[in-house]
Amino acid sequence: MKLSRRLFLGLATSAMALTSGIASFAGEMPAPFDKASDVKIALVRYLSTGDFFQAYLSGVETQAAALGVDLRVFDSRQDAALQADMVDQAIALGVDGIVIQHGLTESMQAAAQRAIDAGIKVVAFDVNVENPAIPQVEQSDRDLARLALEQAIKDNGTSFKAGYVYVPGIAPLDRRDETWVKVKAANPGIEEVAVFGTLDNPIANSVANQARSVLQANPTITVMFAPYDEFAKGVKIAVDEAGLTDQIDIYSADVSTADISAMREPGSAWAATAATNPAVVGEVSVRTLAMLLAGETVEHNVIVPPTLITQKMLLDGDIKNMADLSAKLPQFAHADVSVPAWMPLPKR
Amino acid sequence: MQTDTHKRPKLGALDLAIKYGFLALLVGLVLFFSLFTEGFASPYSAVFIFQSVSITGILALGVTATLVVDGFDLSIGSVATTALMLSSYVLVVWEMSAFAAVVACLVMGAVVGLINGFLIVKMRVPDLLATLGMMFLLVGLQRIPTQGRSISTGMTLPDGRVTEGVFPPEFLALGRHRFDFFIDRLIPVSVVVLLVIAFLVWVFMEKTRHGRLMYAIGSNERAAELAGTNVNRYKVLAYVISGVLASIGGILMAARLGRGDIASGNNLLLDSVAAALIGFAVLGAAKPNAFGTIVGALFIGILLQGLTMMNAPYYTQDFVKGAVLVVALVFTFALSRRGGGH
Repeated sequence: MKLSRRLFLGLATSAMALTSGIASFAGEMPAPFDKASDVKIALVRYLSTGDFFQAYLSGVETQAAALGVDLRVFDSRQDAALQADMVDQAIALGVDGIVIQHGLTESMQAAAQRAIDAGIKVVAFDVNVENPAIPQVEQSDRDLARLALEQAIKDNGTSFKAGYVYVPGIAPLDRRDETWVKVKAANPGIEEVAVFGTLDNPIANSVANQARSVLQANPTITVMFAPYDEFAKGVKIAVDEAGLTDQIDIYSADVSTADISAMREPGSAWAATAATNPAVVGEVSVRTLAMLLAGETVEHNVIVPPTLITQKMLLDGDIKNMADLSAKLPQFAHADVSVPAWMPLPKR
Repeated sequence: MQTDTHKRPKLGALDLAIKYGFLALLVGLVLFFSLFTEGFASPYSAVFIFQSVSITGILALGVTATLVVDGFDLSIGSVATTALMLSSYVLVVWEMSAFAAVVACLVMGAVVGLINGFLIVKMRVPDLLATLGMMFLLVGLQRIPTQGRSISTGMTLPDGRVTEGVFPPEFLALGRHRFDFFIDRLIPVSVVVLLVIAFLVWVFMEKTRHGRLMYAIGSNERAAELAGTNVNRYKVLAYVISGVLASIGGILMAARLGRGDIASGNNLLLDSVAAALIGFAVLGAAKPNAFGTIVGALFIGILLQGLTMMNAPYYTQDFVKGAVLVVALVFTFALSRRGGGH
């Protein structure tokens, strides 16, 4: 008994120290964040392997730390049924809020509803759980594709022969495809002479093999639209191997340190990419959840805007990796989304 | 049926079909694509095909080595991707030389092969299960040092440090350099490596006593043992060959990609097993063989190249790959029920 009381006292003082430390630069936080260490949130993930998901997780972690809340991470590793079970585990654990990251509508919709019924606040990222009480955080795939294609048209005019890398049935790629279809319709001069794509991993290697064949069959291509960076990497390998580096420009979506170095290579065919910083998306997910917990109203669709990154920007700004990118392009390092006055932001 | 095919001096139509059917199919395929696809019939196209199958081809030769001793290695795909990550780690994080990276990968491949062999021979774990365990182990292990991140130049490590190491040009040359061959810069290093390895494996398996003993083990382990063969040693050797070849495949992939990509390597495994199995049908061998494996890999490569040039989507390609494998297996098991390993 004594022990637990002492423990509790210790915890309480350290929590007070923590909250007061944050309060000094973020102002007073509303309940329940006045006792932030008592707030428990859970991140329930469907996808976790790969750079994007690692960066997303780091964003969730840093924002949770800035708030001072207790974060639990549940990782279902692409098992839809397990992900639904994990939501129930989080409910049983008595968390205050849940971030659902990816998943299938069919399996997550009922699970998300159970959480709502248990009085838990829920935010969903990149999975539509069809629930008006649950805000949907999204990186705008349509905007990503739009920014990249606008740059392609700026560089190449409105009439060119294009190769397109696409695998149907993957939600973000399908949304990016909608924009491509629209842009093609609006610009009849853009001729799509080849469509290819595969998700066999390593993806870049498999796409490179395909792109080699496509370039051989269609030597007139001048623009490659590869709206996923793994695709773009593969296309770039093929373009270099075919010696067409000067003739072809590649436009893509997403960014990573490896992509930056590929774009910076002398004479690189990779002209531009549009990207949302996955870490920022992670931060926005947690901030949106925090606003719900504080009883504030949140838009149903919380959209994290993308940034256009061109080869010229990287060279002019001497940007070599993701850290440089965040430092030199402030719009990439932070999204002004879900930021009420009291919200503590992660330190940079 | 078994004996009279041997007695007959002239080959019947069925025997001809069994012996040359698959090669004829290959020629027919090349003719078809040459006629109907613009740009297919060119030296560049031929080189692309070899290049696109070079890595799976090298892995498939490893699979062949284990199939010869009636074993199976499920871990080759993950050995290749582990080599991909390991070479990147040695170069980018430890900032060591290309030579060190290559040696580290070869040693890793050999050690994995030894462990597989040890599990199978000494611990009596069935080959499929032992190598399955190794596969999972490696898929996880390759991600531990970087906490699941891909490795690239200038990446940020889990401890916040930014890496200084680069992929040196002599390492990248393994994946990107091309030798002049009538046309300037035509043949990539990976294709030369594939051909050299294929030749070495072929000589070893078909022309040396060791190779013949390995076939003997594959067809009747007990008989080979009674004849005084050190069965266990040859079995371990087969897994070491398989591991080393898979790591060579991984090195070439790292040199081509110029980064250490997170990948399970399952596609590499399946494609190379398919190539090795298709190889059974070539020249009516009805047993694993190096020449057949290379033809099998090329067969898949030609099909995929041609279909991609004709704008066929990826799922039709998987379908076609499967269809070819089924046909090849029918050739092997139904039509040529004679000799070989049965």
